[in-house]
Parts: sequence; C-alpha cells; structure tokens
Amino acid sequence: MRPPISTARHTALLIGVLLVLQVAASRASVDDAQSFALQAAEPYVKQGYQVREDYWGGDLGVGEKKAVRQQLFKGNDYWFWMGTEVEQGKVSVHIYDADGRLCEQPDSWQKGHFAAAHLIPKTTGSYFVIVAVESSPEERTHWALVYGFR
Amino acid sequence: MRPFINLILLAGCSVSFLAMGAGAAEPPRKIDVKRFSKNIEDVVVPLPNEIFAALNKLDSVNWKAFVRTNKGTNFTERPRIALFLGTVIADGFIAVQAEDAPSVKEIGQRVVSLAKGIGVGNSIVPHAKAITEAADRRNWPAVRQELDRTQNSVQQAMNEVHDEKLSQLVSLGGWLRGTEVLTSVVNRHFSEDGAELLHQPDLLEYFQRKLATMPEFNIPVITEIKSSLQEVKPLIETDEPISAASVKKINEITSSIDAAIVTRNP
Repeated sequence: MRPPISTARHTALLIGVLLVLQVAASRASVDDAQSFALQAAEPYVKQGYQVREDYWGGDLGVGEKKAVRQQLFKGNDYWFWMGTEVEQGKVSVHIYDADGRLCEQPDSWQKGHFAAAHLIPKTTGSYFVIVAVESSPEERTHWALVYGFR
Repeated sequence: MRPFINLILLAGCSVSFLAMGAGAAEPPRKIDVKRFSKNIEDVVVPLPNEIFAALNKLDSVNWKAFVRTNKGTNFTERPRIALFLGTVIADGFIAVQAEDAPSVKEIGQRVVSLAKGIGVGNSIVPHAKAITEAADRRNWPAVRQELDRTQNSVQQAMNEVHDEKLSQLVSLGGWLRGTEVLTSVVNRHFSEDGAELLHQPDLLEYFQRKLATMPEFNIPVITEIKSSLQEVKPLIETDEPISAASVKKINEITSSIDAAIVTRNP
C-alpha cells in the first residue's frame, strides 16, 4: 500500500509542476519570438548578411523599452531584426549612438510584430539598440532580437 | 504542391520585408541613455569574425600568416580549458579567413576534445562534423556559421549547468585572440581606421567586471589577464585617435596573454 501524500506535500508538488510548466512556457514563447525575428532576417541572408546564432530576448509591457548595448565596428554593415509571436502586437527597434543620438539608416522599418533597424556605423564603439512593445493585447509580450552583418 | 506554395509564401514575405519602410511612428532623434540604466542588457560580445570582417575591408590581410594549428597544452583546470577553447574557436575563424581547409578541420577536432574536457562535448560533435563537411566543400560561409553555432552551443550548454563564468571565459579567450590578431595586422600596416577598431572600452570594462566576480578562479593566467586589461584600458579609452605606439603596446600585451593561455607555465 502506498503511503498517503500529505496535503502540504501535494500542494508543494503541484506548485513545483506549475513552476516548471510556467518556465517552459515562457522559454518556448521567447523561442517563438526568436523564430519570428529570424523570419524577418531571412531575406537579408540572401544579400550576404551573416546572422549570429545568439539572440537576446525577454518580455516587455506595452510602452516599456529595453536597451541592448552593442559593440559595433566601422566598416561593417549591420541589421537588427526584432520579432514577437504575438501577431496583434506592434514592436519597434531603433539604434542610438553612445551620446543618445538616433543613427540608423532611413531604410529601417516596422511592420506589426516585426521591426528592423539598419546601421552602417560611422565610428567604432558602443551603440544602444532600443527595443519596445508599442501595442499588444497581452500584458507582457515576448520579444527577441537577432542581428547580422556583412 | 505544398513546397511550391511555401516557396511562393516565402518569396512574398521576402519582398514585403524588403519593400517596407513607411508606416512607423517617428522615433525620437535623441534620447537620454542614462534613463535606461536599470534596463540595459550587458554589452554584447562580438564574435572574432565580426572584427575580422571590418579589418578585411580596410586592407588585404595575409590571413595565412595568422593560422595556428598547434594543438597546445592539455589542461585539466576548467577555467584554463574555457579560455583556451575561446582562442581555438577564434583560430577557426582565422583559418576560414585564410580558406585553409585542413587547418579548419583540425581546429574542429580540437574544439571537440576541449569541449569534452569541460563536459560539454556532446553538444559540439554534430557541429564539428558539419565544419569538416563544409570545409571539404570549401563552403566558407557555412564553416563560419558552424563555428558560430559551436561557440553558441558550448556557451548554452555551460549556462544550462550554471557554468556561466566558464562561458564568459570562452568569450574572453576569443576576444583576446581576436585583439591580438587585429593589433598584429594594424601594427604591420598602420592606419587610423584600423586602430579605431580597437575602440572597445565598454567591452573591456565588461570583461573586467566579469573577472572580478571570479575569485574562485585563482590561477596565475587569470591574474595576468586582469592586470593586462588594466594596462590596455587607458590605451583604448582615449578620445583621441589610437596611436601606432598604443597599437604596438596592445599587441605586445595581448601576445603575452595569448602565450600564457596556450602554454603551461612552469
């Protein structure tokens, strides 16, 4: 006969399972966001951009912004692509130099749950890639950012 | 039929992404980056090939002169293996620049054996195989991509077992080897544009911060790296163009650290 599981142990077990499921769901959504960011990057790969394997992501509320600091090199040509799996969401990505001046190329774009920023750095140094969720039906929206260069 | 439909959808998607440009709200022309102080991700460490790509556009570089396939020492200390692994992956990118297939394949095997030494070999084996296959086909973009995947897989595997500090040492090893080669090239044919590629003060500070969180790695090579970074800092933090003398000095410092990473001190 199996010993009865106490209520406290049962609750702890349930909380543990829920926590694991929540972490897995959260990770899966950031991974989904990454696949949308890579989808945005795909046409550029054909133009010779090397897309890095690594990506940056998380979740943001509407109107919230996050900065990703990047070391960029004069001579290279960079694109940053952002995506979210929330199809009704609207995201944006923009690039600023170390003094906070907008420095991206005019062909940078934003469309719904995809956005991209293009930079041909005039100087080597640190840049800030600012990602934001402009609108979303979700309280928190997963996002992912990938970049490529040539 | 389905593949054909997928192709049309992909083509449509590609055209629409490339044609975009309008319809977005205007971003502010200037922002106060300090406002983001609590919401800034750590500086992203570039791969060595990102620096090499920029260098290649300035001058024709004799990459063959920098190819290194010396197997180096067999270390047992995990931080030493991690640092060495970073330099070997950087050597892989150099061999790709030189389009040297035998060296690329040898480096691929070396990466596997080092990754096994820190317990993450299993995640690397498929990449090493892909590197060998792509090098045999002389498909250099594919080799570059696999080297990037290799580094990413090693670091992810380390992060999953909470070995983030070792993962940071892999990045540091790669950055140091990349900086050594960059300064060698610029030192041989000095140009201000070439020297400007060394303007990476935030990255240097990032590595200093990370090393400060590793008191448990109390080994001479880490101590040497810490003092060397301190020496390099004022040379690249300047608002003036980085001088030929500074490039030479940084080359001496990084060459000395590289020697310490790849060889066992008595």
